[in-house]
Amino acid sequence: MATQAMKPRRKLDERYLARQRWARAGWIYGAMLALGVFFIGPFYVAFLGSLKDNPLEWPFRTTFAQVLPKNWVAAWKLGQQGAGNPWLGGFAPGANIPFEVSYFVPEGTEPTPPTVTVPERRAGAGLGAIFDEVQASRYAQVSPVEEVSRRPARIGDEAGQVVTYRFTISYPRSDPALDLPTAARLPLDVEAPRGQIFLTATLDPNRLERRGRVASWDSAAPGFFGYTFKNYVRVFREARDPNTGSSFFLRWTVNSFFVSLMAVLINLIFASLAGYALARMYLPGKGLLFALIILLMAVPQQAMFISNYLVLRDLSLLGSLWGMIVWIGIDMAKVFLMKQFFESIPREIEEAALIDGANPIATFFRIILPMATPALGALTIMTFQGIWNEFFKAAVVLSGQQGSYTLPLGLSFFRSAYGAAGDWGLMLASAFLSMIPIVILFVVFQRYFVEGVSTSALKG
Amino acid sequence: MPSSKRTEALYALLFISPFLLHLLIFFIFAFVRTIWFSFTDKTTLRDSYNFVGLQNFINLFGEERFLLALQHSIGFMLVVTTIQTFLALATAAVLNQRLHGITFFRTVYYIPSVLSSAAVTVIAIWFFQKTGFLNTFIGWVSAHSPVILTLVGIFILAQAVQVGLERMRGLPVAPTDPALATISLVVAIALTWLLGAMGLVVPREARPPEFTWLTNPDSFLGLPIPLWSIVMLNIFTTIPTLMLIFLAGLQDIPKSLYEAAAIDGASPLQQFFWVTVPMLRPVTFLVVTLSLIGTLQMFDQVALMGDSAPLNSIIVMAYYVYNSVFSGEGHIGMASAAALVLAVLTFVVVFLQRTFGISEKAH
Repeated sequence: MATQAMKPRRKLDERYLARQRWARAGWIYGAMLALGVFFIGPFYVAFLGSLKDNPLEWPFRTTFAQVLPKNWVAAWKLGQQGAGNPWLGGFAPGANIPFEVSYFVPEGTEPTPPTVTVPERRAGAGLGAIFDEVQASRYAQVSPVEEVSRRPARIGDEAGQVVTYRFTISYPRSDPALDLPTAARLPLDVEAPRGQIFLTATLDPNRLERRGRVASWDSAAPGFFGYTFKNYVRVFREARDPNTGSSFFLRWTVNSFFVSLMAVLINLIFASLAGYALARMYLPGKGLLFALIILLMAVPQQAMFISNYLVLRDLSLLGSLWGMIVWIGIDMAKVFLMKQFFESIPREIEEAALIDGANPIATFFRIILPMATPALGALTIMTFQGIWNEFFKAAVVLSGQQGSYTLPLGLSFFRSAYGAAGDWGLMLASAFLSMIPIVILFVVFQRYFVEGVSTSALKG
Repeated sequence: MPSSKRTEALYALLFISPFLLHLLIFFIFAFVRTIWFSFTDKTTLRDSYNFVGLQNFINLFGEERFLLALQHSIGFMLVVTTIQTFLALATAAVLNQRLHGITFFRTVYYIPSVLSSAAVTVIAIWFFQKTGFLNTFIGWVSAHSPVILTLVGIFILAQAVQVGLERMRGLPVAPTDPALATISLVVAIALTWLLGAMGLVVPREARPPEFTWLTNPDSFLGLPIPLWSIVMLNIFTTIPTLMLIFLAGLQDIPKSLYEAAAIDGASPLQQFFWVTVPMLRPVTFLVVTLSLIGTLQMFDQVALMGDSAPLNSIIVMAYYVYNSVFSGEGHIGMASAAALVLAVLTFVVVFLQRTFGISEKAH
C-alpha cells in the first residue's frame, strides 16, 4: 500500500514521504484497534455485567463494588473469619465476624444505632429455590451494635457527621460434640433509622433497599470468589438436579466433553480411513460418490433430521448422549480434509510399503497415519470446537432430559428457567463458563483455527 | 479385473464402509424419507399414516406462520448476505497489511466466530434488553452527539484548511493525506476539549432507554425489529469467518499487479476497484454462496432466543420445521414439506446467484 505514494506527479522530499508512511501506519493501527473493540468489546461489557448484582442496571457502570480491590480484600478476610475459607466463604460453627458500618448523620439529628438482622433468605429464582439449604439465620447471633467513632463531615451543602458502628456476628459452638451444619451464605440486612444515610461498610452491600435505608448483603462472609464471582459460584450452587442434588452445570460440562471427545475419536479413525480410500485406493464409482457428497452438503439439515430423529427413537437412543454421537458420526467435511491431505503426500512411500508385502490396513496404521499428524491435529481441533458448540443435534436428540444435556442446550435451558425472572447474572456467568474450554483451545492452537478456515474454504 | 485390483477395491470398500453406512442412514435414507413423508399425514404420535398427495404443500402456503417464516428467511438472507459480505471485505482489506502484530489482530477478530452460538446468543439477548448495553451505548452516543459532531466538524475543517494550504504551496496532497489527518485529529481533540472545558459544548443528559428490541411489535423495511436484532447478531458472528476467507484470497493476489497499477497512476481506491475486486471474484463467489446457504438455514439463534421474543416476529424456515415436529401433535408431514421447500429454495438461490450474481470465474 505504501507504494502508491512513491509515484507522485511531482517529486516530494523524502522526509515528507517518511512522515506520511508513519502516519498511515498509525491510522491503520487505529482502525485495527477500533475493529478489535467492535469484536471484543461486547464480550468485555457482558463480562462486567456477569459480575454485577444487577447486570441490567441503568445507567451502566464500569466501576462497581465487585471490581474494587478494597472489597476483594474484605471479602477474603470475611470468608476466612466465617468458615476459614477465603475463596468461597461460608458460616461455620465457631465463626466470629466483626463488621463495621458508617452513616452520615445530618446536623440536628441524633445518631441512632442501626438495626442488624440475619434474615432467612432462599436462593433466588429458578432451580435453586427448590432446595432446603442450611439457613444461617437459625444459628447466627448478633452482638449489640456499638458506636465506634464520630467525625464531622459534609455531603454537598449539608453539614453533619460520619458515625461508625460496629457489631459482631457469631456462630456459637454450644456443645463441641454437637454436629452443627455450615451455612453456605450469611445474609445480612442493616437498617438505618430515618434521616441517616448509608456511607460505607467493611464490605460494600449487594443492594440498597427502601431508598437506601436498608443495606443488604447476600453473604456477609462471602470469600473472594463468593463476592467478586458471585454469579459464577451460583451457577454451580443453585442449578442442581432436583432428584440427585448434583450440579447440572458440572454434569453438562462432563457431557459436552464426552460427546466432543467421542466425536473426535470417531472422526480421527473413520474420516481418515475414508479420506485415504478416496484419495489413494482403487474404488469403482468414486466419482459418482463424490458428486453425491457435494450435492448432500447443500441439503439443509432440516430436510434430514426428521428421519434421523425417528431412527434414533426406534433405536431408543433419544435423550442419550450416544444418540447424539451416532448421529454426528463421520463428518463429510472432515473426510474431505483428510482426502486432501493424503493427496498431498508422495505416493512412493506407500508403494514401498506395499511392495514389502504389508496389507493395506497395516500400511495405513503404521505408515500413513503417523505421517498425517498435522492434518489429524487440525481435524481434532475443528471437530472438538464444532461439536462443543453443536446446538441443533443436541436440541433434537436430548430435549427434555436435563441430566444428559450438553452445555449449549443447558444454556438454552437456563435461558428459559431464569430468563422470566430476569436473573441475568446467572445466565451471563454460565455463558462465560461454557466458553472457557474453547477459549483455552483457541489461545493454544489459534493457528489451526485461523488457517483451517482460510485454507479449507479456499480449497474445498 | 486383476486380482490385486480387486483386493485393493475390497480394502477400499472396507476403509470407506463406516462412512458410507453413516451417509446412507443419516443422509440419503433420511432425505428420501423426508421426501416421502412430505406426501403423507404422519405425526410423531401415531404410527399409521396415509398418503395425501400435495395436500401438505397446499396447506403450507395457506398457513400464515409458514408464509411469515418464508418471508423472514428470504429477507434475512438478502440483508445479512449483503451487509456481511461488504463488511467482511472491508475488514479484510484493512487487515491485509504488512505490519507488525497483524497476526495478533487477525486472531482476536476471529473470536466471535469460535464461540458457541448458544453462549453468544445468551449474551446478545442481554445486549438487546431494554436497559441492556446496546441501548446504553446508543444513549451514550446520542447524549454525546454535540461533542462528537463538534469533533468531526473541526476535524474536517482542519483537514480542508491544511490540504488547501499544501496545495497552494504546490504539493499535490490527497484530501485523505494521513499525515495531515493526524494533525487535524490532534487539533480537533484539543479544540473540542477546550470548548468542553469552557462549557460551550457539553453532552446532554442521558435519559433512560425506551426502545425495546426483542419485544417490539414494529417492523423496519418489512422485517420485524426482533429479527433485526438477530440480523445484527448473525452479522457480528459471521464476519470474522468470511473476513479470513477474503484475507486468504487477498494474500493470493500478486503484488506485481498493484505495482503495475500504481505505475499507471491508479489511486488506492482505483486499485481496489480495478485490481482487488476482479481478482477476488472466485473468493467472493465462495463467500456469497456460503453466506446465502448459512443465512437461509439459520436455526440456532432463533431457537436460543426462545420466548425472549414473540415467535411470529423471529420465526424463520429452519425453525418452522423444527417447531412443527416438536410442538403440538408433531406434524411430520407438514414439517417435511416445509423442509423440502427450504431445500429447494436453497438450490434455487444458489443456482440464481451462480447464474446472475457473482460468478466463479475471474475476468
